[in-house]
Amino acid sequence: MLEVRQLEFRYTGDQPGWRFDFSLARGACIAINGASGSGKSTLLNLLGGFLAADSGTISWDGQRIDSLPPWHRPFTSVFQEHNLFEHLDVQTNIGLGMHPGLRLTKDQKARISDSLASVGLAGYERRLPGDLSGGQRQRVALVRTLLRSQPVLLLDEPLTGLDDQARQGLHQLLLEQKASGSAIVLASHDSQDREVLADSQLNL
Amino acid sequence: MAAFPATTNRAPLSRPFWHTLPGLLVAGGLIALTLAGLGALIWQARQPDVSELWNSPYLRNVIAFTLRQAVISTAISLALGILVALALLRQSAFPGRKALLRVMELSLVLPTIVAVSGLVACYGREGTVTQWIGHWLSYEWNLYGINGIVLAHVFFNAPLAGRILLQSLESVPAPRRRVASQLGLRGWWHWRAVDWPAIRPVLPGAGALVFTLCFTSFAIIMTLGGGPGATTLEVAIYQALRFEFDFGQAAMLAVVQLIICGLLWAFMARGDFSANLSPQRSFAGAIPRPDCGVIHRITDRLLLLAFSVFLLLPLIAILARGLPSLSEVVFGDGNALQQLLTASLRSFSIALPAGALSVAAALAILGLGTVRIPAVKKLSNLTPAIPLMVPPIVLGTGLFLLLRPGLGDISQGLALVALINGLMALPFTLQLLKEPFNGLDRASLNLADQLGVLGWYRWRWLHWPRMRAPLSLAMAYGTGLSLGDFGVIALFGSPAEPTLPVLLYQQMGSYRVELAAATALWLIASLGLVFIGFNALGRSKAPSGAQQLSLERLAEMRHA
Repeated sequence: MLEVRQLEFRYTGDQPGWRFDFSLARGACIAINGASGSGKSTLLNLLGGFLAADSGTISWDGQRIDSLPPWHRPFTSVFQEHNLFEHLDVQTNIGLGMHPGLRLTKDQKARISDSLASVGLAGYERRLPGDLSGGQRQRVALVRTLLRSQPVLLLDEPLTGLDDQARQGLHQLLLEQKASGSAIVLASHDSQDREVLADSQLNL
Repeated sequence: MAAFPATTNRAPLSRPFWHTLPGLLVAGGLIALTLAGLGALIWQARQPDVSELWNSPYLRNVIAFTLRQAVISTAISLALGILVALALLRQSAFPGRKALLRVMELSLVLPTIVAVSGLVACYGREGTVTQWIGHWLSYEWNLYGINGIVLAHVFFNAPLAGRILLQSLESVPAPRRRVASQLGLRGWWHWRAVDWPAIRPVLPGAGALVFTLCFTSFAIIMTLGGGPGATTLEVAIYQALRFEFDFGQAAMLAVVQLIICGLLWAFMARGDFSANLSPQRSFAGAIPRPDCGVIHRITDRLLLLAFSVFLLLPLIAILARGLPSLSEVVFGDGNALQQLLTASLRSFSIALPAGALSVAAALAILGLGTVRIPAVKKLSNLTPAIPLMVPPIVLGTGLFLLLRPGLGDISQGLALVALINGLMALPFTLQLLKEPFNGLDRASLNLADQLGVLGWYRWRWLHWPRMRAPLSLAMAYGTGLSLGDFGVIALFGSPAEPTLPVLLYQQMGSYRVELAAATALWLIASLGLVFIGFNALGRSKAPSGAQQLSLERLAEMRHA
């Protein structure tokens, strides 16, 4: 259970700030609604630990996590773009999610290849991100997310700008992930994404 | 599902103090070294009689000559630089333009002593040009003394000034140039309306830079000057230390030099001229200048041709004289070769550690820059300026005085040379590494944070693949700078155990011109080997776009 209580943040003194308050169970998905500039990305950055909140708490399973650094939080983020290290190949990009120093066992390497194959990217291990299409890059990012198996996914417009076929494939993947117990925080402009994935809504 | 709190594999060296500690050690060490050096100077400087500065004719002469040669050299370098820059600007279709610009960059890496040996081969008593001219004219030309000193300074600094000024001229906004083009401005009015306003903000900075370089030049004065009539402060310090053992006087002169340089730096910092030295990329395109007429076409090209000859002649002379005598050395009785190889070995055993030291120190300082404490960040910005502000001979003098009682062993002296050479190179290696190191975008950093790619892992997977090429260039540059150093080694080294530049100096001093040419060529070849070798090491196997580094970048940062 992810609980966000009275989480407040403002960028500079005189601007109006934000306040977030919601909770999310395992296996559920909450959609964050709002126009651009309404604070969707701010919320996801606060959760990920890339911004520090002014006040309020974030807890996971009853344990405070708001003072933990990003690498100790139970989250994995997928953004609209820039999810991959451009100078590293696909296998390394995914592998760094499984071990931050890429100390991978044979078994883990096999799982990377299997997962790539399951999203239609068999044999792409040695490709650099620059050679892939936008949809392929997002699939690689999602494969890393799934193999990292952190309990909460933070998705910031992950499917924006992709064609319909790619979207459907990725919807499928995310639904499977949800069914296996992942909690998902989804920020998306797209009503179809929200209808397919979300169980509840948070309006900013 | 993973357990929480996650038992992340903690990355080695990821604790915060690994970012801070090495940098703090380097910064602290550098500051301590500088303070100790300066402190030793000031402590010694109390003993001599300060009134000697204006009472002793020798010291008065030295100070006056230092100023005089620096002023003349700066004036000629700037004037020639402006003319060449204007000519290059007007003649954008000049066939050798790119090659000439490359040659103008060469002065950044060419060791002073090598260039001097080339100049001697051309303009010395036995020089090609001297004899050729002497054949036609009965003019008695003497390279040694102020003639040669100014000539050598112009050889090094006119290309430098020319490049800086060309960059500022090229940065004139296109609309203003279009207006000038439409109005048909030419001659004096074009200069007043377009060129002078572009040059004016850069000129004081460029002038101060060239003046400092001429004011503190050492190798050129040592080889082409000498005698009480042509000695500068830098050389007087050296002589006081090495021959007269008059440490008090050396300290006093070092303080005088530091004060004059410091005043200049303070002036630069106040006017913020240094900021204007950083080049901007121009997208000028070809807006025809009204003054591209036939007459300018001819005079400009003649000037550029003459300038090219002036820059290339010494290099050609080294090559032409060096090749045959080098083969003689290699295939000769073996004595000269033995000497050359020993000197090379000694040079490299100083230069490689110096290069490695400067690169390691630069990385430590960059690591300090990632810490989010403002004071620490500031320290990482300020530290690298120290070696620029305190001339190496001043630092060296201080350390010499401080360590003198214990400095018995020659190898300790050489280690000290490597240390000071490494520190001298620090500002430049740092400039080369800064951009690639800080070039990771926010998104990648956040991603790395979330994945726990920290410490050693971050270095290995994020920085290292992107920094191989810049690191090797920085290493090559640091090594090259030390390889060509003649100032610090003259202070601490022993004449009986020369490095390559010292050997070259000795051969020139005893007029063994052929041997000197061979050594000069050998030194250039070693330098080329360093750059080629490190370049090969730095080339990554995977093709990567973001590794475009060339001498041109080096030139830009040197001006910045």
